[in-house]
Amino acid sequence: MAGKPARAVNAIDQTRRMLSLVTYLRERPGARIADVARAFGITEDELVADLDLLPMCGTSFRGGDLLDIDTDGERIWWHNPAALGEEAAEPLRLAADEATALLVAARAVATLPGLREGDRQALLRATAKVEAAAGEAAGASSRLSVTFESEGGVFADVDRAISERRRLWIRYYSPARDEVTEREIDPIRLVSVGHTYVEAWCRRSEARRTFRLDRVAEIRILDEPSAPPEVELRDLSEALVQPAAEDPEVVVEVGPGGRWVAEYYPHDSAEELSDGGLRITLRTPDPASLRRLALRLGRDGRIVSPPELADSARRAAGEALAAYDVPPGPAPEAAGARG
Amino acid sequence: MAIAKAERLMNLALCLLGARRPLSKRELRDSVEAYVESVRPERGGTGSDDSFNRMFERDKDDLRELGLVIETVENLDGEIGYLARRDSNRLPPITLDAEEAAALGLAAKVWQQARLAGAASGALQKLRAAGLPEDVDPYEGHAALEPRIPVHEAAFEPLMLACRDRRPVLFDYRKASAAHPEPRHVEPWALECWRGHWYLAGFDRGRGAERVFRLSRITGKVRSRGTGFTAPVPDVVTVRETVAGWAGETADRSALIRLRSGSGYPLRAKAAKVRELGDGWDELEIPYGHGLDAWLVEFGPDVVVVEPAELRADVVDRLRAVAKG
Repeated sequence: MAGKPARAVNAIDQTRRMLSLVTYLRERPGARIADVARAFGITEDELVADLDLLPMCGTSFRGGDLLDIDTDGERIWWHNPAALGEEAAEPLRLAADEATALLVAARAVATLPGLREGDRQALLRATAKVEAAAGEAAGASSRLSVTFESEGGVFADVDRAISERRRLWIRYYSPARDEVTEREIDPIRLVSVGHTYVEAWCRRSEARRTFRLDRVAEIRILDEPSAPPEVELRDLSEALVQPAAEDPEVVVEVGPGGRWVAEYYPHDSAEELSDGGLRITLRTPDPASLRRLALRLGRDGRIVSPPELADSARRAAGEALAAYDVPPGPAPEAAGARG
Repeated sequence: MAIAKAERLMNLALCLLGARRPLSKRELRDSVEAYVESVRPERGGTGSDDSFNRMFERDKDDLRELGLVIETVENLDGEIGYLARRDSNRLPPITLDAEEAAALGLAAKVWQQARLAGAASGALQKLRAAGLPEDVDPYEGHAALEPRIPVHEAAFEPLMLACRDRRPVLFDYRKASAAHPEPRHVEPWALECWRGHWYLAGFDRGRGAERVFRLSRITGKVRSRGTGFTAPVPDVVTVRETVAGWAGETADRSALIRLRSGSGYPLRAKAAKVRELGDGWDELEIPYGHGLDAWLVEFGPDVVVVEPAELRADVVDRLRAVAKG
C-alpha cells in the first residue's frame, strides 16, 4: 500500500472515462493528446490505451459502425463522428458515488479554516451547481463528511508567504521535548490530512521539516525571500513522519486499554497478546521523546526496551510523585530536582 | 484472446444509449462482440446461455454503478427489453466558471481511497465533457495546497456502500479498552472523518440506541445482515460531538495546576488564567474534561495538580503505576 491513490486498470473507471472521452472528442477534432490527458487528469499512456480500445467500440458491432478514432501520436482524429448518434454523445448524469466523492471533498475543503475567501466562495458556488445537476444522485452525499482541522490565522499567513515567496519566522512547540523553539522556515506547501501541516525548509536544521499548524505558537511573515532548495515532494498521505531503518527500536507492551498506541504511532509490528493487549515494535530517531507515551500509558502499558527509556519514565514519575508528598503550601520542592 | 471488460462494457453502454427503442437481451447479445464470442465454443466461449446471462447481469450492474439508468420494459409480445432513456441519462445543463472549475479540480484530487478517487475523477471527466472550462492552470497560486482525505480502514468501503444503500450490517467491534471484540448489529447512518480517523454513527440493534464506532476498532469483515432500517434516521447525525467527548474536549469543569515556567505550551494555550508564582512555577486554570489526568501525567514532574482532589488522586494513581514500572 504505497501512499498513491490506486490507479490500477479498473474496467469501471476506464469505461466511465471513455464514455466522457467520446463526448469530449466529438466536439474537438484534432485535439492534442497532451491537452486531453491534462483535461481528464490522466497520463498520456492511459489516454493512448483508451484510444487503442475505442476503435473496437461502437453503437452496434453488427452494424459495422465502429468508432474510427486514431492518433498520429500528437493529435487525435475521429473520422466518423456521426457513428455516434446525438443520444450516445451527450454528457452523462453523475452517478451517486461520483456526486458523493466530489461533493464531500468540495464541502470539506470549503471548511478549511484560513482558506482564501475567494476560493471558499468558488467552492460553495461549484458545490451548489453540482448538487443541482446531480439531482437525486447527490442525496447520499450527506452520509459522508470530512472535517479538516487548521488554525485559520496561521494557515492564512503560511498561504500568503507561499504565494509571495517569503520566509516565515515561527515559534513552534515540539511535544517530544515539550519545548517551544524559534525557527525561520521557507514554506513549500500546505498539506491537510485531518490536521493541517506546512512542509518547509527549516533554516535552523537545514533540512526539510513538517510543522503542524496547531503547534505554531506565533508566526510572522518576514521580508526576506523564501528560497527552499529544490526538494522532491513526497507523498504525505501515509504518515507524515516516516521512521528511518537505522532509527533505534522501541518495544512497548500494552494491555487492552493501551491498544490505541497502535492507532496513533506508525509501527513495524503489533503482536496480539493473550490478555487482549499488544506488543508493539516501532522505531524513532529519538527514543527519549517516547517518555511522554510511557507516562501516559500508566497501568495500561510499559516500555520493554530500551531499558534506559523505561528507567527515565520511572524516574520522572517518582519525581512527580515527590511533589504530592509535600503538604499543600508553597511551591513544590521537586522544582530543583530537574536536570 | 478474451475481449477486455472495458471494451465490452463500453459497447453495451453505447448500444443502449444509441438505441431509440428497448433492446431485447438477444439483440444485445448479437450486437456486442464479447457476448457473441461468449456463446461460441470455437472462440473460447462456453457455448451456454448461462455464462452469457451471468455476464450480462454483472455488466448491467456495473453500468448502473457508473451512473447509467437502464430501465427494464416489456414489449407487446411480453418480451423483456432494456432501455437507457435519453432524458434520464443526460447531465442537466451546468455552467461553471474558471474559478469554480479550478475549485472542483482541487476537490477531485482529495480522496486517497481508490473507489472514491476513481468516482471523483469520473465526475470531473463527465463535467469536462459537458464543457467545464480548462486551460486555466488549476490553483496556480495554490499548487501549494494539498488537502487529502486518508482512508486506511478496511471497513470503510463496505460501510460507505451500506450507508448509501441503507443496509444493516454486522461486524465485530473492540471497544476502546476491551480485551475481546464483540459482534454488533448496526443500521449505519453516516460516516465522518475527524482528525484523520473515520467514525460510523448508527443505530445499534443489540443496544437499542444510537452509537458511534471508530472504524479502526472494527475487526474482521463487515457483512450485510437483514434488510431495512427499524429505527428512524435522524435529520442531523452528530458524530464529532460524541468523539470530541471521548477525546476529552468537552470540559464541564475547571482545574487548577502548577506548571514549571517555560514548559507545557499546549496547557498554556488552553488555560483560562495564568498566574506567575515567581519561583520558577506558574499557576494555571484549565478546562477539566474526560482524559485530562492522562494528559497531565505526560508532563511528568513539570505539572502538579492543585485541585480538584479527584483529579489530583487520579494523577497520583497513574504516576504510581508508572513509578512501580
